[in-house]
Amino acid sequence: MTEQHDGAPQVAVNLNELLVRVDNDHDLLCELIGIFKEEFPRLQQELRQAVAREDVKKVETTGHALKGMLLGLSVTRAAASAARLEQMAREGTIAGLTDALILFDAEVKGLLAELVGYATEIEP
Amino acid sequence: MKILIADDDAMSRRLLEKTLEREGYEVTAVGNGLLALQELSLPDGPRLALLDWMMPEMDGAGVCMEVRKQVERPHVHLILLTSRGSKQDVVAGLEAGAADYLTKPWDPAELMARLRVGQRILQLEDRLVEARETMRFRATHDALTSLFNRGVTMDLLARELTRTHRENGSTVVILGDLDHFKQINDRYGHLVGDEVLQEIARRLLGSVRSYDFVGRYGGEEFLVILNNCQSTHAVERAEEIRKKIASHPVQTKCGPLSMTMSFGVLATQDWDLELAEQVLAEADAALYQAKMEGRNRVKLAKPVAVDDVLQKLVRQAGEREP
Repeated sequence: MTEQHDGAPQVAVNLNELLVRVDNDHDLLCELIGIFKEEFPRLQQELRQAVAREDVKKVETTGHALKGMLLGLSVTRAAASAARLEQMAREGTIAGLTDALILFDAEVKGLLAELVGYATEIEP
Repeated sequence: MKILIADDDAMSRRLLEKTLEREGYEVTAVGNGLLALQELSLPDGPRLALLDWMMPEMDGAGVCMEVRKQVERPHVHLILLTSRGSKQDVVAGLEAGAADYLTKPWDPAELMARLRVGQRILQLEDRLVEARETMRFRATHDALTSLFNRGVTMDLLARELTRTHRENGSTVVILGDLDHFKQINDRYGHLVGDEVLQEIARRLLGSVRSYDFVGRYGGEEFLVILNNCQSTHAVERAEEIRKKIASHPVQTKCGPLSMTMSFGVLATQDWDLELAEQVLAEADAALYQAKMEGRNRVKLAKPVAVDDVLQKLVRQAGEREP
């Protein structure tokens, strides 16, 4: 679970949708979360660096990759934030990129723990 | 069925891989567009592919364009996976050569339904190709013996003569005719006659090299074209064929029937003929000679030297003088 801006806990993952996608395969879900644990921090770091450098091409590709990854795990709100970054970068809008990144970081805060929690909870 | 997944997102790739394997697909998964193109270009490569739009090295639309350039290859059903949902993107993807597209995150049921559509299209294409090949075979081969038909045989002969002339090489043309075949038809019926023709065709094909040609020229007439065969071997090769035909009886539903063939042989090296019709006329004359001399034999067509003709005319003129 992530936290809302007012501090209240909020579910980030659409678990039902995710379970349909993996066909209730617990092993596959764990495997995907394992890939996410490995890939996500790296991409997030790349995104932060690209925003700091105002490298719009890199923001676009990294934002796109993060969006795809988050959509795959049914993390729709954070995926929308990543999509916003991608779109802004594609349009060459540098102003506002930092704010968009802050919003994205807030959306994904605690996400990893939430996903790991699901993997443990749903164990057959 | 083989299927290719190309996606640089390891998670999405793994999810697709697992989902498709569960459905019985034989999956190959790669992480960029260039590797996808390599897989799709393999002789026995997948004919169904799910390509992510944005990929390193080459994007999905680029892969589609490259695959569509390979016009000689069987059709590959390409589905673009995209989270770019605008109409413009969809049109661009389809224009690039994609057959279909799916928006990420894909719905498992929709994914499977679209793959089944792809399979149906591929099956339809396979049936069309098969039908075309059947029609091509029927148009070029004799229905009874499966040898080349007369039209194709003549074309092959003409082509071979042109090549031989250009390369100053030698081709041997053997025109064969079954002896007393009419009697087989009259006595045992046409079905037995057909059995005989089929077996003779098999023996003729079995007597030549893989790059020689055998065609059914007429009812019981066959034409053998031996490429790159010197005139010194012409009669020897025709004799081998003749012996193979006569060596043992043809088994038919009316019992074994002994068959023989007569042959007229022409080696282009000995002649200065360029037209297939001229070559066949001379081979036919030699065949006629073989028939006249008792059948089951080989006669070589030899050009008559001008000196011989003159001497013959002088001799005939002398005989007529009082």
